[in-house]
Amino acid sequence: MSSYVPGLEGIVAAQTAISMVDGANGRLVYRGYVIADLAEEMSFEEVAYLLWYGQLPNRAQLERLTTELAASRSLTPAATIALDALPKDTDPMDVLRSVVSVQGVEHKLEKPTIPLAIHATGSFPTILATFHRRQLGLEPVKPRADLGHAANYLYMLNGKESSPELVHALNTYLVLLADHGMNASTFVARVIASTDSDLASCLVGAIGALKGPAHGGAPSAVMDQLEKIGTAENADRWMRAARKEKVRFMGFGHRIYRTYDPRAKILKELCARLNPKFYELASKVEETALQILHEEHPERPQATNVEFYSAGVLQAIGLPKEYFPPTFAVSRASGWTAHVLEQSGNNRLIRPQSEYVGPEPRKPVPLSERG
Amino acid sequence: MNRASVHLHVVPEFSPGLEGVVAAQTAVSEVDGANGRLIYRGGYLIEDLAPSVTYEEVAYLLWHGDLPDSTQLETLHKHMASARSLNNSARGALMSTDPATDLMDVLRTVTSAQGSAKTMVKPSLDQAIALTAVFPTIVAAAHRRRLGYDVVEPRDDLSHSANLLWMMEGKEPGVERVHWLDSYLMLLADHGLNASTFAARVIASTGSDLTSAVVGAVGALKGPAHGGATLAARSMLDKIGSASNAEKWLRESHARHERFAGFGHRVYRTYDPRAKILREMARTAAPELHRTAARTEELALAILHEAHPERPNATNVDFWASVVLTGAGIPKEMFTCMFATSRVVGWTAHVLESLADLRIIRPASVWIGPEPGKKPAAIAKR
Repeated sequence: MSSYVPGLEGIVAAQTAISMVDGANGRLVYRGYVIADLAEEMSFEEVAYLLWYGQLPNRAQLERLTTELAASRSLTPAATIALDALPKDTDPMDVLRSVVSVQGVEHKLEKPTIPLAIHATGSFPTILATFHRRQLGLEPVKPRADLGHAANYLYMLNGKESSPELVHALNTYLVLLADHGMNASTFVARVIASTDSDLASCLVGAIGALKGPAHGGAPSAVMDQLEKIGTAENADRWMRAARKEKVRFMGFGHRIYRTYDPRAKILKELCARLNPKFYELASKVEETALQILHEEHPERPQATNVEFYSAGVLQAIGLPKEYFPPTFAVSRASGWTAHVLEQSGNNRLIRPQSEYVGPEPRKPVPLSERG
Repeated sequence: MNRASVHLHVVPEFSPGLEGVVAAQTAVSEVDGANGRLIYRGGYLIEDLAPSVTYEEVAYLLWHGDLPDSTQLETLHKHMASARSLNNSARGALMSTDPATDLMDVLRTVTSAQGSAKTMVKPSLDQAIALTAVFPTIVAAAHRRRLGYDVVEPRDDLSHSANLLWMMEGKEPGVERVHWLDSYLMLLADHGLNASTFAARVIASTGSDLTSAVVGAVGALKGPAHGGATLAARSMLDKIGSASNAEKWLRESHARHERFAGFGHRVYRTYDPRAKILREMARTAAPELHRTAARTEELALAILHEAHPERPNATNVDFWASVVLTGAGIPKEMFTCMFATSRVVGWTAHVLESLADLRIIRPASVWIGPEPGKKPAAIAKR
């Protein structure tokens, strides 16, 4: 038995061919391709195909996948009823967790398959868009099969088509976030899959993990902090004062990258183009944060993480900040399902050990004599 | 260690299934496989608790770290009894599903809806109590819908187990059946770092809420390799049918290289202490099924010993749990849900424990894909 490593840091929990986080060189690799080579060129559908099938699709394969995803955009009657029963002020992550659970109900246990992965991934934007419109007191908009995954998500949210620029930005975000090694939510999905459970159970568990502020819950925290800082001129003063009170800078710090996160780099450029107002403040805040962090810990690497500029990109696209984490889920659904398929293809129950730190065995006292 | 070296240069040891890897420190329970002991929080052996301690007392023990006195127990009773009703979101989710839906899917969905909230709340003992209290309401309602009956509302004057049978059947159960069900529920309440408990701890490690952790755990327990084993054991006993048919059936099944349901465990090297307690209880709870099961066990162990003399005695808890649950009047389609109804206490206790030193659980992986850096071909050239 090996000794306890908190957070399982450095402990290998799986072999995977889906993605690799090469922290030392600042590379994220999907199935052999470096993210920078995919981000601005590929549609989300192409990347999902790559993650599921292991190679980029040719035109016919891509067309088939696009059709299948588009055909998976409707909610089941049960999912619609369950969604309508939730109060309008429910956290969209809770909505997603609950409705993905209903959408995936079955009569008999089914083994995870690519068609089921496509089916689940196709439904995430519809769940969120339907709920968002309900919050605004608007009728849901029917999905459009002629639009891509990103374009259709925006169409269903807003009831009208978005500009190619915004569609491209959302698509890039979805490509960049689609997978990232053995992160906590992906690992949960694999743990659940290891019991031979169904795909919906894996996804519901993964959504629950992504909800945590230490994982996907961070982009909205970035917005909150930037709102507090207010202006670029105020950044240095606010941040130094905050630091004295041990306030964490949101959007900084990553356990893996030793150089600049390659996704953050791409999102930063996108943010500068799309959201100059945000960028003006955010880039100043970033500069200040890195300066202060460097003063405190000169040995640590540059630490801007993907959440930081995601916030500006998603804001430019028009998403309310409560929809940042579930939009992360829209993207990561492709990675989660790919990992579930990989796990169930070569499965062994994930059942680690624990180290008992309680008292030595003793006898219970009868109820009447306790107190 | 530098993470990149893990990926690219040194190939670190990989233990499939994390077998033997310590993933948490815990005082909630300890599976001492070598000595065949299960220890619940506070240091109590399961066989010392089983004869006299109720499910509610065990819940208190796992949450608080020691057994309650009578005032504390009374307070917990009241608290749980007041938390048995479904809210509107949960009712909506329950009624949305086709009555024939898998009961674990209903449990996963309705629990998620019941725990949906406007803002993220840190896991708390109150939420642990509320989740534990509402599980019987969800599974009993799903069961009655499946049969086409109206849902029976919970009663606050009954114990956890008695109320569960009441909501399933619409009439008050006898004390013996309540005792059998209650014993089952307290015996299964926790069991070290099994897959569902581990899933709950990983989810909680991100700072997520208790409902998310529990819903993930329900999903993991649904898997046939985890919570499905009790049903599999009962289905095997149904196929065997009688003690006199056991030898023929088992020999034929073994010749076909089938696995016997209810045998084998990764941890115990001696007889599972919970199986021992349930085996004794099964004598009175389900005498006829006990005879078939006892004969089946005897033969199965003999056949397994012939095939693998080096392996230990391997009857697991699921085997005898299936007999006791049958005696308690639980239909077999509900077995996995009963497991969840019990284990929710352990899941929540583990999550609450983990809050004291929360650190995101993010293991490493080994890259077995193609050499990184190949350039994507244009679509027309693929």
